[in-house]
Parts: sequence; structure tokens; C-alpha cells
Amino acid sequence: MASYYSPTAILTDAQKAPATFSLAVPALSHSPLNNNSGTPITPATTLDLPLWLAEMLAVSRPSGPASAPLATLDMPSALGPKVMNALTADATSVELRQQAQWFYGLGERMLELFEDEEMGAVLLTTFKQRALEIADKAQNTRTAQQGGDSGDFMSGLDETERQLFRAAHDGTHAVKRWFEATSRG
Amino acid sequence: MAPPLPPGLTPSEVGFLCEMEHVTVIPRQTLDGLELLGGPTGALKPPFPTPLPLWLALLLKKQRRANITPPPWLSVEALTQILDFETDERTAELFSPSPNLPPATTSAPLGDAATARAQADALPYHWLEIGHLLITHAADDFDDLDAVRKLLRDLREVRMSKLRKGFEVLDAGGGVKMNGVGGMEIAEVRGFVGGVVDGLRRLNRSREESRKERETEERENGLGSSSYRDDEDEDML
Repeated sequence: MASYYSPTAILTDAQKAPATFSLAVPALSHSPLNNNSGTPITPATTLDLPLWLAEMLAVSRPSGPASAPLATLDMPSALGPKVMNALTADATSVELRQQAQWFYGLGERMLELFEDEEMGAVLLTTFKQRALEIADKAQNTRTAQQGGDSGDFMSGLDETERQLFRAAHDGTHAVKRWFEATSRG
Repeated sequence: MAPPLPPGLTPSEVGFLCEMEHVTVIPRQTLDGLELLGGPTGALKPPFPTPLPLWLALLLKKQRRANITPPPWLSVEALTQILDFETDERTAELFSPSPNLPPATTSAPLGDAATARAQADALPYHWLEIGHLLITHAADDFDDLDAVRKLLRDLREVRMSKLRKGFEVLDAGGGVKMNGVGGMEIAEVRGFVGGVVDGLRRLNRSREESRKERETEERENGLGSSSYRDDEDEDML
């Protein structure tokens, strides 16, 4: 399980995934999870639940080892076949931020629950290709600010990629600052 | 919990640490040997050259009590030779080799890397920092300052672009061959490379775990195909 105190882990787990209930839960009809509508939650209702809740329900066995879990978990649309195909075609042009703010965290949690080798491989190559692009952009910040279409790539980065960009940029910046500081003294 | 400091040394820390290296100094005034924490320094008797730690050398230079001899690798000929090596297509994967290291002592100073006895065809670990400090503060000790400065800058660009090419082979499990890369260069890319390898590791985790489970199963041949450790929620009665 992810670390308890890490804000990254908390935000990642707060992302939604579709879960299909296998029994009725009348008490939750008016909850924010159900968009506060009054429609009762009957078996086969599908709701978007946060990952931490959906995982608990999907893994739980309320009546002992042989019974069915309370809900079944499906792959969120952010990791669905359409997105996977787009990533295999051209990883750097997909706006990951639109799909999920913590895209790779989501993928990591899903890989824990479902053993999907292909998705794992696609995510790995995507990550590497986009990381190379980030390294490029971090070097040439001047041209990136002027360039119009590179703004799309930068706004499409998910949170982990933004941290990578900041790390790359900070490194170069710190070296430059050291050079200037020593030149003065 | 407070935000953690980034692991490893920052560029300014690396720059600070490089000042422990020894350089050869030609004193202009006599000075007794000093009992420094790192060890005693030799007495300064002009005009005999003496090795001193860089920070002390820079201080004396500023007070006009000494001149600093640039190490052999920090000359136009040596730097040009190294630059040719780096830009040669056949060495696109490599960095220029580091000098032969002395047998490991317990602590700094790190040998003769920047003294007059340094190896002339190899860039020591702190080449970038020492080079920069010397051309900034000991400018009159150089024969051709502009050429040296230009060569240092070219070298830095060539090596950085090689490092960036090396990013492409980053992998969750593997290491990258970085023989000969300097301290400041590592500090510059440390944050980024660390982040990338960590991300790859996390994405690869489920694959790693299932691979490990398969391996332990294969090793314990007598247990059959199902592993007791598969589903933690089930109690095997």
C-alpha cells in the first residue's frame, strides 16, 4: 500500500475508478458518491468511486472466503484501450493531465490489482519517451516559453512529470547560480 | 512531516566540497605550516611550490601572497586534446577517462588531482568546479585565459549532451555506465535521473513482484503450482 503520510499517495488514491455493486446499498442513495441523487443503489449499479474505497469493496469478502466481494472493479477510462492505443502511437502527444492528474500513480495502483502485462509495458515506454521530452524542454526554457505548441505538451503533463521537469530545471539552475556566486567572491 | 530534502549533494554543495582539493601554490611570502583539521600543510618558503587546499590557495591569492599554478590538465593543449577525444565519433558512448586514482586513503584531500603533478590527459572528478574557480580568481596565472575558458565551456557542453543521450537507456532495473563523469555534472542531472528511475521502478513493481513469486515457486519444486502466499485474504484451513 502507498505510504500513509504522503500527499502524493493520498491524492492518487482519491482518483476515481468505476465499480459495479453486486448488492443493494440503500443507505448510500443520498451520499455524494451517488451524486446526491435519490436513486437507490441496486445490484449492477456502476458508480465512480475513489480508488481507496473501490479497492476495499472489491477485495472484501464479507461472508468468508467463498462469498463474492461487495463490488467489482473495472479499469478507469484513463487507462482504457483508447488511451493505451493513443500512447502506443505517440506517447508525447497525449494529454495525460486530462485523463488523470496523477496518471502514473493511477496506473501503478491498477497494475497492483490487475496483472495486465501489456498495460505495464505501454506505461513504461510512455514514461521513458515523455521523460526524454521533458529533459529536452527543461534545457531550452527560453524557446519553450516562446513556442506555442510546446505549451500543449507542458500543460498535458501529469503531476509526477511536472516534478521531473522541476527537478531537471532546478539542477541546471543551481549549477548556474553556483557559477555566478563564485564569480563574485 | 516536513518536506524531505532532495537526496544527494546539490550543485552548491559539490562546489563547496571541491575546495578541499590540493593545488600547487607558488608563495610570495613566507608562512609557517598550518595545522589544519585535515592535516598539516607544508611551510611556505618562496619561491618553492607547495601543495595547499584550494580554499586556502584562493584566500592567499586574494591577499596577493601567492600565485596558483594551473594543473597540467587545465592548459590549452591538454584541454584541446581531451575535447578532441570527446567529440570524436568513436567515443560517443564514453567520457574521457578519469585519472588513475591513488590507493584509497581515509579522507580528503583526494590526491594530486589538481596539483602540478596531476595527470595531464584526464579530467579529475571536480574538473569543472576547479577550472571555473581558477580562471575566475587566478586569471593572471594563466597563459591564455580566453582560450581556456572557451575550451572549458565547450567541454561542458559536449559532456552534458552525452549525458542526456544516456538518458535513453535508463531502465527500472539497470544502471548507467558513467565512468569519467565529474561531480558537478552528476549534481546537475541527479534530481532528474533519480526521478525517472524511481518512476520506472514503481511502474515495474507489479511485474517485479510477480517475477519474484514465480522464481520462488520454481525454487521450491515440491509445492506444486499454487502458492500459499497468493491470496492474503484467504485462510487455508
